Amino acid sequence: MNAIETTGLTRKFGERTAVEGLTLSIPHGTVFGFLGPNGAGKTTTVRMLAALIAPTSGTATVNGHQIGVENEAVRRSVGILTETPGLYGKLTAMQNLVFFAGLYEVDEATAKKQAERYLKLMELWERRDDKVAGFSKGMRQKVAIARALIHEPPVVFLDEPTAGLDPEAARTVRDFIRELHVEGRTIFLTTHNLTEADELCDLIAVFRTRQMRVDTPANLRRALFGTGTLVQFTTDPAQWVTVAKALPFVHDASAHDGTLAIRMDDPDKQNPLLVQALVEAGAPIRYVEPMTHSLEDVYLELIAEDEAKNG
Amino acid sequence: MDNPRPVNKVLLIMRKEWMEIIQQRALVLTMILPPLLFALIPVGALFAIGTFAGMADTKDIKDLADTLSKLNPALANMNEIELAQAIIGQQLATLFFLMPVILPSVISSYSVVGEKTSQTLEPLLATPVKTWELLLAKCLAALVPSVVLTWLSAALFAGGLALVAASPAVFTKIINAGWLLVLFLCAPLLALITIALTIAVSARANDPRTAQQISAVLILPIMLVFLGQITGLLVLSPFVALLGAVVLALLAALALWFTGRLFQRETILTRWS
Repeated sequence: MNAIETTGLTRKFGERTAVEGLTLSIPHGTVFGFLGPNGAGKTTTVRMLAALIAPTSGTATVNGHQIGVENEAVRRSVGILTETPGLYGKLTAMQNLVFFAGLYEVDEATAKKQAERYLKLMELWERRDDKVAGFSKGMRQKVAIARALIHEPPVVFLDEPTAGLDPEAARTVRDFIRELHVEGRTIFLTTHNLTEADELCDLIAVFRTRQMRVDTPANLRRALFGTGTLVQFTTDPAQWVTVAKALPFVHDASAHDGTLAIRMDDPDKQNPLLVQALVEAGAPIRYVEPMTHSLEDVYLELIAEDEAKNG
Repeated sequence: MDNPRPVNKVLLIMRKEWMEIIQQRALVLTMILPPLLFALIPVGALFAIGTFAGMADTKDIKDLADTLSKLNPALANMNEIELAQAIIGQQLATLFFLMPVILPSVISSYSVVGEKTSQTLEPLLATPVKTWELLLAKCLAALVPSVVLTWLSAALFAGGLALVAASPAVFTKIINAGWLLVLFLCAPLLALITIALTIAVSARANDPRTAQQISAVLILPIMLVFLGQITGLLVLSPFVALLGAVVLALLAALALWFTGRLFQRETILTRWS
């Protein structure tokens, strides 16, 4: 049984379709990056999966509980960090956490212990008795993350957890997400920060695309761009294109921006042969490096591919 | 997670509401000042009547007393000072019933609009709290202090009246069975109607003051009772009080049903926030 499974999940608001036919399977213990442009329906999806709003059609189970049927059980098994921290400014960090823990049916003594644990992890223990209204955005975000975890949910939805945070605070949050991953929790991460998604996620999906692909960032890169090697020369790379193309394992070679880009299936094994052939042909090699594509490239390629197919 | 002692979510939310309220000085003042003023001003006025009525033209007061005792036979056989205190005291005692309208509208408007402005509705609704628990907690968080303050204010008024009344008869004419029934039955019901309607209005309001406007509408029927008492057209007898309680109970049920229909998780999340 997966942590999250959806089949044809659809939500309409009047005439407008916010989410259409979403089918997903997210195994337990996965950090899943849910990417997509603003207005793509990411928040609506999270709200449906957290049993906050009902789907118009389709089904979904979260931690084995079916949404729309076992909503309270779903809510008990998920923690959610919403777009805005949504804390009671007149209450202290500790009071906020203990209050929400109570709503998740955690008794007060345990709630205080849990609050202590998470406030310490978030480096906010010293500020536990300060009113949240006086906190910076980053501090509020950290308290909101602690709130999402106060009842130890197996599934956690994090909506833009590092948005607006300074680099140090963002690092603390990212380290914390890694820790949650190690603990075996399933994390559904909605983010526009593609570097962060690349760094943290086991699986990603770009939401706007109609035939949504769910895969590891590495597999998506391979599927979209293939694998290969970049070679820089002290002379014009164009003259070495034919040498590279003559090799049986090279699928393609092209020269641009002073670099020869060579596509092949297994650079680790084939690079020595490639370098040998080029050197034997007299090529003055300066550098050899793996061909890399950022997750941003993957994201933009998927969006472009979708637009080309579906208009 | 282990749960050695079940958490009462209604009490938990109520406690949170009160923790927020007591941190707002303006709100606390708005809650405390009216009950104090509503108790002390009538006592002061009745003290003044008791002290200074004897200095007025006795003939005019006698004529007025005769006329008033004809309008309200329950006031017969009282001397002029007793009569003046009883008549004025009864009118002022009616104004007490404004409190169950004013006080809960202040709390409940902050309680719902506050959730919207602090954007806490979504995390709150993401918890396994039941919608009825949330609504009940919001209602009780406003109802309990409003009713307690109204009753405390009434007790202060009754205590003050016992000190300044010209005779025990004056006291019993003001603090009569009808008034007590209204205080103990109608006041909580009035407060409940106010809270239910304020919560309903809060769905569309982003400012607590807008949500409080509903209290202005609810004050009107109370002013009619006040005017009815002044003109002698309405006497707050136990029968009238009980009848009023039945009508208010029906209206409260209707208001709660109406608000309960609006207070649905998805509606709150997609339309209120």
